Amino acid sequence: MRWNLAYRTLFHDRGKLIAGLVGVIFSVVLVNIQGGLFFGLVNKASMLVDRSNADIWIGHRGMHNVDFAHPIPERYRYTVAGVEGVAEVQPLKLQFVNMALPGGKYQQVLLVGVAESTNLGRAYSIVDGPQDAINRNDAIVLDRCDDDKLDSPQVGELREVNGRRVRVAGKSNGILNFLVTPYVFANYDDAIEIGGSNPLETSYLLVRLAPNADCQRVCRDIRTLLPELDVMTSDQYASLSINHWITRTGLGLSFGAATLLGLLVGLVMVGQTLYAMVLDRVGEYATLRAIGLDERELLSILAFQSALVASIGIAIGMGITIILKTLLSSPKATIEIPLMLYVGCGVLIFAICLFAAGLPYLRVRRIDPHTALQS
Amino acid sequence: MTTTNTGTTAYTTTDVPVGVQHGHGLASGQKTSAMTNHALEAKAIAKSYVIGGQSRPVLDGIDFHVDPGECVFLAGPSGSGKTTLLSILGLLLTSDSGQLLLKGRRVDGLTEVERTLVRRERIGFVFQRFQLINGLTAEDNVSIPLTMDGMPLREARDRAGALLCRMGLEDHRKALPTSMSPGQCQRVALARAVINEPELILADEPTAALDGKSGQAVMELLHQLTKEFASSTVVVTHDPRIYQYADRICEMENGKFK
Repeated sequence: MRWNLAYRTLFHDRGKLIAGLVGVIFSVVLVNIQGGLFFGLVNKASMLVDRSNADIWIGHRGMHNVDFAHPIPERYRYTVAGVEGVAEVQPLKLQFVNMALPGGKYQQVLLVGVAESTNLGRAYSIVDGPQDAINRNDAIVLDRCDDDKLDSPQVGELREVNGRRVRVAGKSNGILNFLVTPYVFANYDDAIEIGGSNPLETSYLLVRLAPNADCQRVCRDIRTLLPELDVMTSDQYASLSINHWITRTGLGLSFGAATLLGLLVGLVMVGQTLYAMVLDRVGEYATLRAIGLDERELLSILAFQSALVASIGIAIGMGITIILKTLLSSPKATIEIPLMLYVGCGVLIFAICLFAAGLPYLRVRRIDPHTALQS
Repeated sequence: MTTTNTGTTAYTTTDVPVGVQHGHGLASGQKTSAMTNHALEAKAIAKSYVIGGQSRPVLDGIDFHVDPGECVFLAGPSGSGKTTLLSILGLLLTSDSGQLLLKGRRVDGLTEVERTLVRRERIGFVFQRFQLINGLTAEDNVSIPLTMDGMPLREARDRAGALLCRMGLEDHRKALPTSMSPGQCQRVALARAVINEPELILADEPTAALDGKSGQAVMELLHQLTKEFASSTVVVTHDPRIYQYADRICEMENGKFK
């Protein structure tokens, strides 16, 4: 009966029910979209690593962010290639250079030199132009999302990078840097030449493991051979790159604060709605107390109503979130909502709604059954 | 019907709190004595309210009893203490002093949980303004006392529906209180009070919000049902038109019986 009483009284006052639901829905959508934008943004910090097709990244001692590389001897690739379990090693060159724009302005870009004969380090997929674009002489590959920054270069157009003429041979879609600096891909030799850097040095060595090779063991073996370098699995380096931006920019704090705000708004709205419903029904609660419902049973009614508001609100909120994600997510503003976020958000908001039932409960506790005779 | 002062009886009661069968212990300091035949008995009940920093006595050593199946009216001017006495008899309020016995068992001094249990199991209430739950249908409102005792909702609805039919509300079983007339609402409230056949029914001005005809109809039903269930009834009223339903009328003035 308590459940019948709880849901019937809840649905009887539809105005307040809708107000409570709006609070929960708002919280769910805000937390998920905020979280999704956050994950979408920070994942850009590791995009080069995530899409590198490499199992192990080797770089300078203390490497902390994929975009900020320091030179290491390129000859170490042969040392690494001799480690048991290593199937392939390729160098990857990263260098900040300037691209001249048609209007006479310059745009700093991050030149990425990838080996010709492999897909190691080739983080992009060509969507415009030939698939082997990067293998052509003096060719570069740009991303569509950087068109605005680079004055809309077309495939086949000539550009000048670091004072050297190159041709835009192809375009990818969605390879964006966490910084505002666009990635420009070139083949490894061209990148060395364009950047004017020492050919004996490279930025990273990327390793592909042989089938069934133990990644941790291979990392240990490489560290033993090259103690002056850092050796990490791709997942480790991706996390490190993401954490670099989260911790050094305060990004995590600001997104976290906004998300917390969303939760607080939800908490206040649900608590306030339930409280208002209780205030409207003080007479009814007094009557229930008078005819024999005890405090614990009244609390269970409030908790059930909160749980019901939470469940309905979370379900609707998730639906709206999925629709918004589908409509609004783009390479520039990626909304990546992992399953963990959906589940965590649902559980958290459900718990908050139950907690919100405490506010009206404080009022219900003070209801004197005697007032049933006085109203 | 007789109009009387309640008088004092020679009390030889068994002073054991009720409600203990559900695991609630005896209130400390309560003693046992011999049984009486009264359904409800109040001895030297006193109650004061603090108003404006001053203690103002509302009940001044009231002695009162109701016998099984008896219908007693409490009458008197506003502020005479009728509703306060009814609240104390219904365990909604605690008295400052005195004893309260339900079927010979002490019920004053029980804990809040124990008092709630006694109200649930042994007392039915009829309120002046019906106090129905607006979100529930008439049938569900009447079902509340049964389901609180653990009866499945479907079975409780069947019994509530049958009782509502007896009370002439067969077409309003699924109606919400807001769509019913005051007379119909009070009949639903009455059904809720008697559905689990309580030993004691307490009614606070049950006809005050009704027109004469509806008031008579409600009192007629109350009279029938309490006789059928052998419930004792205490009715607080100002309405002389319903005095005919009283077995005894106790008039109060300034916290005492006249």
